[in-house]
Amino acid sequence: MARMTLKERYHHMTRLGWQPTYQPMEKVYPQATYEGIKVRNWDDWEDPFRMTMEAYWKYQGEKERKLYAIMDSFAQNNGHLNLSDARYVNALKLFLQGVTPLEYQAHRGFARQARQFPGEGASVACHMQSLDELRHTQTQIHTLSHYNKYFDGFHDFTRWHDRVWYLSVPKSFFDDASTAGPFEFIVSVGFSFEFVLTNLLFVPFMSGAAYNGDMSTVTFGFSAQSDESRHMTLGLQAVKFMLEQHEDNVPIVQQWIDKWLWRGYRVLSLVAAMQDYMLPESPMSWKEAWEIYFEENGGALFQDLERYGIRMPDYAPICAAEKDHLSHQVWGILYNHTAAAAFHTWVPDERKMDWLSAKYPDTFDKYYRPRLEYWRELEQKGERYYSQTLPLICQTCQIPMGFTEVANGDPMQVAYRSTEYNGDRYHFCSDPCQAIFEREPEKFVHAWLPPQQIFQGNCGGASLEDVLKWYNIQPGDNLDYAGSPDEQRWLEWKGLAAAREAAE
Amino acid sequence: MSWQVEIEPLGELVEVEEGQSILDAALRGGIYLPHACGHGLCGTCKVQVLEGEVEHGDASPFALMDMERDEGKCLACTAVPLSDLIIEADIEEDPDAESHPVRDFTATVEKIDAPCERIKVFTLRLEGEQIAFQAGQYVNLQVPGVEGPRAFSMANPPSRADIVELHICKVRGGPATTWLHEELQEGMKLSFSGPYGRFFIRKSAPGPILLLAGGSGISAIKSMLLDLLETGAERDITLIHGARDRAELYTRALFEDLAARHASFRYLPVLSDEPPDSGWTGPRGFVHEAAKELYGGRFSDNKAYVCGPPPMVEACVTALMRGRLFERDIFVEQFLTKSPQEERKRSPLFRKI
Repeated sequence: MARMTLKERYHHMTRLGWQPTYQPMEKVYPQATYEGIKVRNWDDWEDPFRMTMEAYWKYQGEKERKLYAIMDSFAQNNGHLNLSDARYVNALKLFLQGVTPLEYQAHRGFARQARQFPGEGASVACHMQSLDELRHTQTQIHTLSHYNKYFDGFHDFTRWHDRVWYLSVPKSFFDDASTAGPFEFIVSVGFSFEFVLTNLLFVPFMSGAAYNGDMSTVTFGFSAQSDESRHMTLGLQAVKFMLEQHEDNVPIVQQWIDKWLWRGYRVLSLVAAMQDYMLPESPMSWKEAWEIYFEENGGALFQDLERYGIRMPDYAPICAAEKDHLSHQVWGILYNHTAAAAFHTWVPDERKMDWLSAKYPDTFDKYYRPRLEYWRELEQKGERYYSQTLPLICQTCQIPMGFTEVANGDPMQVAYRSTEYNGDRYHFCSDPCQAIFEREPEKFVHAWLPPQQIFQGNCGGASLEDVLKWYNIQPGDNLDYAGSPDEQRWLEWKGLAAAREAAE
Repeated sequence: MSWQVEIEPLGELVEVEEGQSILDAALRGGIYLPHACGHGLCGTCKVQVLEGEVEHGDASPFALMDMERDEGKCLACTAVPLSDLIIEADIEEDPDAESHPVRDFTATVEKIDAPCERIKVFTLRLEGEQIAFQAGQYVNLQVPGVEGPRAFSMANPPSRADIVELHICKVRGGPATTWLHEELQEGMKLSFSGPYGRFFIRKSAPGPILLLAGGSGISAIKSMLLDLLETGAERDITLIHGARDRAELYTRALFEDLAARHASFRYLPVLSDEPPDSGWTGPRGFVHEAAKELYGGRFSDNKAYVCGPPPMVEACVTALMRGRLFERDIFVEQFLTKSPQEERKRSPLFRKI
């Protein structure tokens, strides 16, 4: 018999569905049509990758063995002592608190879509991605558990993800996606996040790890990236499939792309701040990453998508204007509210400020350096500034209102938008966040907004102390890096504590 | 030193230069292999080496694991051959592809026609062996004094295997086409290799055929059309040929004659740069505009074959897709000149178009 091609082999191993006879299809797949996506023929689905479960277990098993060997050796060799600086560890805290729980949410989301898509090809691909995401969750927790032995800010990340104010930003992104239908979910996570934005998340964290001596995280990144190609091709295939099945799908997909690229972009503003401020050694600035991964690669994608009648979201000029400001503004927000965070912030040293000034020649020295220098002066007088009030946050992205009117030519004016709905007023950080709300107000009025919840008495009490207790953020997890237990331990390990005391 | 790599299940051969990756050579040879990151990290371009030896290059140990290396897998984007190879890639065999081995040929220039200022038609008579090919394929011509071969589509149908007919447009500042236009004389000899390319009619696929040609892109399309009519294809065939002016429509008489004799074939020439007072009563504009007009912007259920310069191909593909015809039903061949040109960055959204 002739040798089967990979496609034929894959077909025989995965096309295991059948036509139900006891129940009608619409009862077996109750979510397949309500979003308005019209599918003429699920057989037109082209498998984005061809891997059987048998091969999957084998490959993933070997990846695990490699990764755990490196994690073990990192632990045995006290790898954390070779980091560039303990400030770096705050990037990992943000990752474990903000990103790892999203991997878990992605695991659950793809498992659900695997059940809901009537097409076998889409279902198998979603199953596999669901398993990948669970693997990513586990390997991230295991990789970062080493740091939990030596640093603060790692010990209760799942609770934090559910409760803490800045983590409601990534959490609300996924809550929004998970409560959408299967087609919108796959545009939100599979396409917008995994395909268009994934490099903006992974490059800062993983090459940041490489630049700062964290080989364990680098290895985990390689291990995850080898799955990423499957995820990217699934997102791409899903979008192509919808666009080709029926022209009525085009405006629906456009609306989802508009919504989810903006939602993802706002989540990534936390990454922007991390990338430009938390990494002692920086491979590239947020602005550079945005230009390569969104403007160039995303630009090429949208030029290709134009053939389907899909256009670049009309807010792209806002992102382009914000790239010079985003990381600085978000770092300012985090700096002000570090009293209630499970990581540290700080005023960057002169060397870092010079780097920022070189990377952001049009904005850093003009708008942001003076502010940082002022904060440094306060610190030196023993008056380190911490905001004493709860911020107004955006109803959609849940980031405190700190973004300014850069796209309208006024970087010094905080952007405020608001919409009245059913007698209540809702606040937004930007036009796109407002537009997203206005398309689905019934959904977004249910958003769980941390400041409001605190004021309503749902978060352990009214004082900062009460709320921190409810968060299970312990003394030392929060506040400035200077004077933190992390800093104290780092100086002791590196034999710098005595030198510093002598100098003082 | 270079190696020959045979790519299964297509059975296509590509030449891989010393230090060149398999992926690079395949893509340059017109064979699409799935790929994404391009530097050994993602594993999308994993292929099976059936025969021969490779050096893995910078393949990440997670994207290409030890056991896969032991099984003879490699990443096409980082692997370089250490011998001739046979590889199997995750690509689809095309039931309509005929396998004609690439051979070297020498031919005598039998006739040179100059129907218009920019384009010359060269008829080369083969010495000895005839050339077996599929209508739409091209040859790589050696141009004396010019480094590297130049690709030109054959305009003769496969039934005329004793000659090779080339329609060559003079590229401004292009040394090869300038030499061919200015120096080449009847009676001189030329060498070339062929046939190459994956641009051919999918005869097993049902549905009407839409042929779109821009300028000298009519060469491959003419071969396809003659072959279809000669072999008795009964389906509807439409040819839209875009040219600058009437002088460049030198194939018009031939196609009008064919249209008169075959009820299933219709022909529509369209001119983009014809003087307004010339008396031309046919459509003006570009191929994609004429196609949209003729089809009412709706192309579903056709098979489209597009051949011409890159902007023409891009405009046609966009028009076809806006008219609900997609990648699986669109086949393209574009003429790339060797001159450095601003090629726009592409996303992985499409494989062939």
